[in-house]
Amino acid sequence: MTIGQLVTRVARDALSDPIAGAPPAEFTVTPTTGEDAAAVLGLAAEHEMSVLFWGGGTHQGMGHPVDPDIIISTAGLNEIVDWQPEDLTVVVQPGVLVSELAARLEQHRQTAVLPEVPGAATIGGVIAAGVSGWRRLRYGPTKDRVLETRLATGDGRLVRSGGRLVKNVTGYDIPRLVTGSFGSFGLITEVCLKLWPTPAEKAMVEVADPVAALRAAYRPLAVVETNAGTTVYLAGTSQELEEQAQRIGGDLLPGHRWPEPLAGPVRLVLRMPRGETARGVSMVTEHGAPYQAAHGVGEVQFVADGIELADLERLREAADAAGGSMVVADAPPTLGLDPWGTPPGSVPLQRRVKAAFDPRGIANPGILPGGI
Amino acid sequence: MSLVDDLRAILGPDRVRSHPLEMRVFDKDAGVSRGEVLAAVLPETTSEVAACVRAARAHGVPVVARGAGTGLAGGAVPVEPALLVVLTRINQVFNVDAGGRTAWIGAGVLNLDLSRHVARLGLHYAPDPSSQAACTIGGNVGTNAGGPHCLAEGTTVTHILGLEMVTADGDVVTLGGAAPDTPGLDLLSVVVGSEGTLGVVTRVLVKLTENPPSVRTILITFDSIQAAAATVSNTIAAGIVPAALEMMDQPMIIAVENFVHGNLPVDAAVILLAEVVGLEAGVVAETAMIEQIATAAGATSVRVAADEGERALLWKARKNAFGAVAQAAPDYYLHDTVVPRTRLVEVMTRIYEIGEQFDLEMLNVFHAGDGNLHPLVAYDAREPGMFAKVRQAAEEMVKVSVEVGGSLTGEHGVGLEKRDLMGLVFDPIDLDAQARLREAFDPDGALNPGKVLPLGSRCYDYGLTALPEAGQA
Repeated sequence: MTIGQLVTRVARDALSDPIAGAPPAEFTVTPTTGEDAAAVLGLAAEHEMSVLFWGGGTHQGMGHPVDPDIIISTAGLNEIVDWQPEDLTVVVQPGVLVSELAARLEQHRQTAVLPEVPGAATIGGVIAAGVSGWRRLRYGPTKDRVLETRLATGDGRLVRSGGRLVKNVTGYDIPRLVTGSFGSFGLITEVCLKLWPTPAEKAMVEVADPVAALRAAYRPLAVVETNAGTTVYLAGTSQELEEQAQRIGGDLLPGHRWPEPLAGPVRLVLRMPRGETARGVSMVTEHGAPYQAAHGVGEVQFVADGIELADLERLREAADAAGGSMVVADAPPTLGLDPWGTPPGSVPLQRRVKAAFDPRGIANPGILPGGI
Repeated sequence: MSLVDDLRAILGPDRVRSHPLEMRVFDKDAGVSRGEVLAAVLPETTSEVAACVRAARAHGVPVVARGAGTGLAGGAVPVEPALLVVLTRINQVFNVDAGGRTAWIGAGVLNLDLSRHVARLGLHYAPDPSSQAACTIGGNVGTNAGGPHCLAEGTTVTHILGLEMVTADGDVVTLGGAAPDTPGLDLLSVVVGSEGTLGVVTRVLVKLTENPPSVRTILITFDSIQAAAATVSNTIAAGIVPAALEMMDQPMIIAVENFVHGNLPVDAAVILLAEVVGLEAGVVAETAMIEQIATAAGATSVRVAADEGERALLWKARKNAFGAVAQAAPDYYLHDTVVPRTRLVEVMTRIYEIGEQFDLEMLNVFHAGDGNLHPLVAYDAREPGMFAKVRQAAEEMVKVSVEVGGSLTGEHGVGLEKRDLMGLVFDPIDLDAQARLREAFDPDGALNPGKVLPLGSRCYDYGLTALPEAGQA
């Protein structure tokens, strides 16, 4: 029996056509249940075939490249399973588009506070990549909202962790650990997210000095600096917005207009200590790069086309020295820059933790720092 | 050389305690179980902790970390003879970054001391367990502690940006940091709340929160728990997540009033303590909305604290609730289950029934906003058969919570107390995954053995060989 026939045996009808933009693989599989996904992973482990997970493809540029035998697409796992508006929780499958979930939740004026301009990004992809939106400044990172996960592990187990509760310390917080694990444990087949009510009104104030604005505003949603200037994003009642504008010193502009994601073949992210975002910005602007910075968070995304490799290495050294890092969001392999930089001292421990979920090392193998 | 000799060589004689009488101080926490401590050490630096862990390992002795011992689930009570690493002397605030709103602090810093330390900067540390005057941040990290103000601010894990810990091998690792999203697996997220089973945390980088410009504390009385719970649900449904939403029933109101003299309405069946914080305009609007929602739900009175003095008194009443119980009976057993907010009334009704069924004196004070229940049974342990009855009732209450989709613990931790109830919430394959994760950190089971996971969790038999038949998958 060929592997293709075996895959069909464990997950009937799951074999599908290759995905545009994905690397070549022997098989592409689109399971429609968590059980099928686990069965395919069990089979892959048995045959030591490497597996790459694919959602919307928007964050596939991160991490070391994976050379897959099998690609598992989450396109068949695309249901909003259970939404309890009064409990502020929602259970979703990984293939649901971030934009689709946001639109649904807005029907009850609620939000999972995921990236604001997600494009084709899926829930599974955003959680696997540990990506947060601009409103992280106010609501914390995405991992703060991951309450429960069902995970198809790299050896085909289907493991549930956490709970559908906004507060819970029963057992190890695997849902939080899975967030940002880049598929290295397996596939998230279902996730429960904590929701927030959408504030009554939204507004923006344009400012000249992001650091002063961050100090003056009371817990703004975001303070975003780009080459075009700095915008403070606010929410609340109209009286609150007036009070914020007074504190910051500027006029209210209605609504929220978030910056479009940076475009370019080489996109990098500086992650600086949260109080040193401005320093990160000056490090980047020295090279004239287009950038978007989240003040108070420490993240500076920039386009690095045309910046010499030696200069990029120097930027990375400066970020490391400040206690931060510089990672690749997307770049051709020819760039010659490690996607993560110097691996942390906890790499041996990380390797063992991955093995606890993926003992054969077949789930997105090598994608993490240190080639884990 | 004995372990104690080795430890004395590392720390000197004063900071190694092993006299059996002294061990009585260290062999229990604030809960109900007692354990066996071979020796207790009081290290002052991370490298001393590492040396102590290595010494214990060399002697084949397990290691249990302990803060102030205010835990209620037996997390710091050794189930087999162990070295107790007491972290209270690593209590320095090392580095406060006012701009970045962070601070590196020792695990032994007291929760409330931290907030006092940074008050001059207009900042505070948000998680505020009722024991905050006595509990350490290290202990809070161990249990992923909560508190009334975690409703809007999140529990401990959302306030810990980095940490330094000693591994089971006695190595020192740093996880996380002041910059976001340290590359690699976010191990910090699972170390917080691991109850000392994945490492001994010695220092943490905490996130500090800006003090709100305006605060209102509202005391609302009801003649039924249904009306109080409806107020909670309708407040959240109206898009308000208050800073705190605390509920207290009449037996507890009376006990607290006798203790604190806070001018509490002792004739009310239930009170709800709501706090809203933020900009003055928002606080005024939200206070009015909560007042309106409560009145519509049948509140019998609404009182907004007139000044900071009255507000402080209300919070003193809330946070001293457990101390107040001593008037009722010499011992108490405090529960900590969580249920979906919408199931509050149904679960509370059943919890009262269980109290009646077992003929127990029960008082309630809890975090209604996040569905975190704290039924408290006051009893006298000297009465024969009493403790067994209290434990049995406790188990019933946990089961009732789990049945509606709740869980065993919201902030106190699993420890020893809830360990054997984990199977109510998780399947064997889920517990096995947790056991494997623990093994990755501590292959020999040297760190706080016998806690969190039921014995035998790691024996779920799962082979890679079985291939399901077609159609079964």
